[in-house]
Amino acid sequence: MLTQIFILAIFAMSYDLLLGYTGIVSFGHAMFFGIGAYSTGVLLSRFEPTLLWLIVSMAVGMVIAAIVSYFVGLLTLRLSNHFYAMLTLALAGLFLVVAEKWRSLTLGNDGFTFRVPDIMRDRLSFYLICLLLMVAVFFLLMRLTNSPMGKVLVAVRENEARTQSLGFKTIHYKLISSVVAGVIASVAGSLYVMSLRFVNTSVFALDVTLDALLMTILGGVGTLIGPIIGAAIIEVSHHWLTELGKFYAIFERWIIFFGILYILAVMFFPKGIVGSLREIRWKRKPSKVKTKNKNKRIAG
Amino acid sequence: MDLLLNLTINGLATGMLIFLLAAGLTLIFGLMDVLNFAHGGLFAWGAYSGVWVYGMTGSFMAAIAGAILTGIILGFVTERFIIQPVYGNHVQQILITLGLMLVLSEMLKVVFGPNQIVASPPDYLAGSWQLGDVVIIKYRAFIILIGVMVFALVHYVLKNTKIGLTVRAGVMNKEMVQALGINIKKVFMLVFMIGSAMAALGGVLLAPYSGVIYAEMGMDFAILAFIVVVIGGMGNFVGSLFAAMLIGLSGAFMTYYVPDLSLAVNMLLMAVVLVVRPQGLFGVKG
Amino acid sequence: MTTLLEVNDIETYIGQYHILQGVSFQVKKGEVTVLLGRNGAGKTTSLRSIMGLNPIQDGRINFNGEDISKLATYHIANRGIGFVPEDQGIFGELTVEENMKIAMQKQDDATLARLDKILTLFPDLKTYWKKQGGYLSGGQKQMLSIARAYLNKNELLLIDEPSKGLAPIVVEKVMESIMEMKDETTIVLVEQNFRMAMGVGDTYYIIDDGRSVDTGNMKELADNEELKRKYLGIA
Repeated sequence: MLTQIFILAIFAMSYDLLLGYTGIVSFGHAMFFGIGAYSTGVLLSRFEPTLLWLIVSMAVGMVIAAIVSYFVGLLTLRLSNHFYAMLTLALAGLFLVVAEKWRSLTLGNDGFTFRVPDIMRDRLSFYLICLLLMVAVFFLLMRLTNSPMGKVLVAVRENEARTQSLGFKTIHYKLISSVVAGVIASVAGSLYVMSLRFVNTSVFALDVTLDALLMTILGGVGTLIGPIIGAAIIEVSHHWLTELGKFYAIFERWIIFFGILYILAVMFFPKGIVGSLREIRWKRKPSKVKTKNKNKRIAG
Repeated sequence: MDLLLNLTINGLATGMLIFLLAAGLTLIFGLMDVLNFAHGGLFAWGAYSGVWVYGMTGSFMAAIAGAILTGIILGFVTERFIIQPVYGNHVQQILITLGLMLVLSEMLKVVFGPNQIVASPPDYLAGSWQLGDVVIIKYRAFIILIGVMVFALVHYVLKNTKIGLTVRAGVMNKEMVQALGINIKKVFMLVFMIGSAMAALGGVLLAPYSGVIYAEMGMDFAILAFIVVVIGGMGNFVGSLFAAMLIGLSGAFMTYYVPDLSLAVNMLLMAVVLVVRPQGLFGVKG
Repeated sequence: MTTLLEVNDIETYIGQYHILQGVSFQVKKGEVTVLLGRNGAGKTTSLRSIMGLNPIQDGRINFNGEDISKLATYHIANRGIGFVPEDQGIFGELTVEENMKIAMQKQDDATLARLDKILTLFPDLKTYWKKQGGYLSGGQKQMLSIARAYLNKNELLLIDEPSKGLAPIVVEKVMESIMEMKDETTIVLVEQNFRMAMGVGDTYYIIDDGRSVDTGNMKELADNEELKRKYLGIA
């Protein structure tokens, strides 16, 4: 289960880059997850399950994800949030349909199993690899968001028009953000199917995107550490609710609880666990808050 | 000839259903600046509640009334408790309505069970008319008729009544409407409820048409409705009718000739519209 | 003369910007009160704050002795305040007729009489009765906006820069209409066109950097060169 948490945390962090740092709401993040998942699944089942092919398959997934996210971004990132959310939702729907219909490659909803390299068969080493990758992604994104480029992304989130008038080509920055997020999501997809040694069309489902959303929002938008915490909470409670579902029928529909939790979180804790904790820390130092406001006033 | 006509009627009927869904979506968006991702959920609830009422009473008209009532109630609850608290914040709205969509579809499974439910048209709408060598399926003609009636009614209200004028004015300039002494929030709620009722009506009409209903149908149709809204122009009521017909017809013909590509063609259509005319084919000037 | 509107030290933020930092003025019944000041001084925001479109953070706004600063915009409008915004707020896709119809709160004889009067004053509106508002000229839009605010029995009209971007002959026309309405209603006018302000105003207030800094009788201002230079950039 820890392995799953690491993998989903990678996925959720990639989503946080979009939602939290750039302020883009994508409902099609499952697309990239699925691309990674199928690249790995298909290549490993067609060829030898060696480490080399595994790396090739992950690279293929990343390249496809980069290309797709680039073109999707080019087409839609100029548009308002509404359009973008809607279009990514529709596109992810299209990918799901294609995966269902292209049975010669995907075997549709039935999916297929495949063998993985020996090193990945070992639970401990796979666990360590996932942990390592999660930490690597964390630091990579940390680096990125603290870089001058990351600052521009936050500026885009806060006020796109003004950022643009300062001379930044915002579409360019948004594109980079969405490509990076897409590539990382693809890695998460590859790891995910490897942990199951099975892939079917559910990797493209809306639920996958929703999971990432929930983890990011619950944990804390724009914090990177938040999505990791969110992933842990969701995975643990998912597990726990499924167990409960064996005794009480209502818990079989655990998605409802997540859905309600999610709505409440958006409404009352838009900053998530990490964000809210940080806010509480802020409030304890009232003098600091005051000076900040004063500065704002002068600036205004 | 026979085939072409049938495909056309199929396309128009499907288009009408999509129109019922998209019209509410586009009106709500135009007026309130809210893109309701839960709209498809209202559609599915309309279908389920309608079929349930149909099963209980045996009257299809009661089923339609029940679906509309469900739509109105759910619309009210959604507007009041989900949309209003996050009014003005686009990101939160988008996130929260998608969450609601999830809850609505899961609730369907809790209330009505997770399996598909079979539905059939009432006797007087079953079967078909034979006109020479042309066969027209009654139920499809019925859907088209209802769609035209709803369109005409809403169009008339928008054009000729004070409340309709207020809605159109609100789409253009919300502040001014309020400065003229009108409570725009009431107008919002009304439009939201009407939009939801239309979605629910679309849902219940779909049930006997497709024969089965399932909880995820809301999302499937919502995606088509989004495409329609983009093609027709956000906030454009008349545009959404034409766009819905276009999508319905292209869907019908593509499903017959190249079934695997039907959704792809619609997506392509949308992509082209977005690149060439982002305000929609029937976009509002200025 | 009684005070109809009392704006008392209001402060308004728009986003993080502190636009109004203490604006006060009093409007006497039956007068035309003119708000003067440079671009960006806060005149428009003052009017929008009275209408509740930019809610105030601090201070008080009394209308007819009632605190209206916490009311929703439509309540404020229904208390009897008409608003002619800077951008005229015409519903472009609606016809002139429909624009008027939305504004009409009652369809009683008094309203219809006012409608008649305003159409005599602005015959253009009658000519283009069925034309979409968006296709009117700038002057006609201004007339429509004023007509719309005048239609209901409002005790107070807030008019924001009616002369902006209009040809001199149209400005004359608008001025004439304001003089005409002055008999029945109290007016707060934001105006950059000093000639127009002089022509119709009774009392002036100068707003600078989000604060009201000076007030007096309009006639006196005409002779006070220093004040004009300092705050209005005219001399």
